[in-house]
Amino acid sequence: MDANAVYARALSRAFGGALLFSFPLLMTMEMWSLGMAVERWRLLIFLLLTVPMLIGLSYYAGFEPTFRLKDEVLDALAAFGVGFLLAAVLLAVFGVLRGDEICTQAGLGKIALCAAPAAVGALLAGKQLGERGPGAREKERAGPLSELFLMAVGAAFLAFNVAPTEEMVLIAYQMGPWATLALVAISILLLHVFVYQLGFPGETRRRQAGDFRRTFVAFTCPGYGVALLMSLYLLWTFGRTDGVAAHEVATMTVVLGFPAAIGAATARLVV
Amino acid sequence: MAQKPKTATPAPASKPKASSKPAPAKGTPALEWASAAVGLVLAATAIGFTAWDALFGAEGPPAIEVKLIEVTPTAHGYVAQVEAFNHGGEPAAQVQIEGVLSIKGAQQTSGFTIDYVAEGSKASGGLVFERDPRAGELMLRATGFADAS
Repeated sequence: MDANAVYARALSRAFGGALLFSFPLLMTMEMWSLGMAVERWRLLIFLLLTVPMLIGLSYYAGFEPTFRLKDEVLDALAAFGVGFLLAAVLLAVFGVLRGDEICTQAGLGKIALCAAPAAVGALLAGKQLGERGPGAREKERAGPLSELFLMAVGAAFLAFNVAPTEEMVLIAYQMGPWATLALVAISILLLHVFVYQLGFPGETRRRQAGDFRRTFVAFTCPGYGVALLMSLYLLWTFGRTDGVAAHEVATMTVVLGFPAAIGAATARLVV
Repeated sequence: MAQKPKTATPAPASKPKASSKPAPAKGTPALEWASAAVGLVLAATAIGFTAWDALFGAEGPPAIEVKLIEVTPTAHGYVAQVEAFNHGGEPAAQVQIEGVLSIKGAQQTSGFTIDYVAEGSKASGGLVFERDPRAGELMLRATGFADAS
């Protein structure tokens, strides 16, 4: 009825979504330590990238059915606020943030790092928890570039859930070169099958761009490329690549590229 | 103007033209502005703080000062609560804190490890001694650390 009441409901939904998407990270130890250990420049770049990413995402799945740039920006900012507040409150409740720490760079780093996935969750909540089905407006926009953007967000989002953990490095150390190549093959295969063969609900009708080969080259390969790029970026942000031999960095990227590829493939499902 | 027929057809997807939406309630609700403003302030704070720190923050390796806060006699020894403060420009991980208590020539060494001490931040812990640290001389220092991340 009242526009404010409608918006308040959307805002509550956003909190719900933020909670749903970010609590695994909020309850992961590495996120806390990384929050203070991440190099400041990398954290700054990460935060600066988060904002346009949120605006772009808002264009697809904002918690209001909007079209105008002003509203996308407003939605993105509100989502960031929701994510930040949620992360701050929960981290404080979990005893991660002590009272005197909130205003130091360590405390702020912890909150800011967790705020980003929470903000994504807040934005997605509009669609995930809302009554709207996949609207007609999405299909209009499914150009190759927007497709790639969605894949990138999906990849980053899923990869972010595991990227901070020590296990990524450990798995990379445990795997030999052949296992790495096998993982590459599995990732690409899964990406292709998930996107173009299984027909998950919520997927837009896939434009099977002609035959298998064309689909593979035109969609699957760029998708995997984006997934690897996102993996490498996240590893770099978290300082996992510093001083590590090139082949280990490659292995780590492939390891993280596995969840990233699944994220890219299911971006339509999640995002 | 002629009123639109009140049908509940949710199928406006005929043409992706610009004006396919009826645009209910043109204005943006005040709450939307408010929450966006809160978000803007928080984002600006996070980004500004981080940028300021990246540009003008302290440089150099961790420099950890350890000081005694309080000594409490317990049934299981004297607990000396100590606090480590990192004055340096980098966070330190696995910080080893050592306390050497000298009483009349006799020495006792205690220690513990702190997971992380961020730059400009403090962390605390306790050293346990058999004799009262207040009766002798207590030397406190950080003996080593690993680079964080």
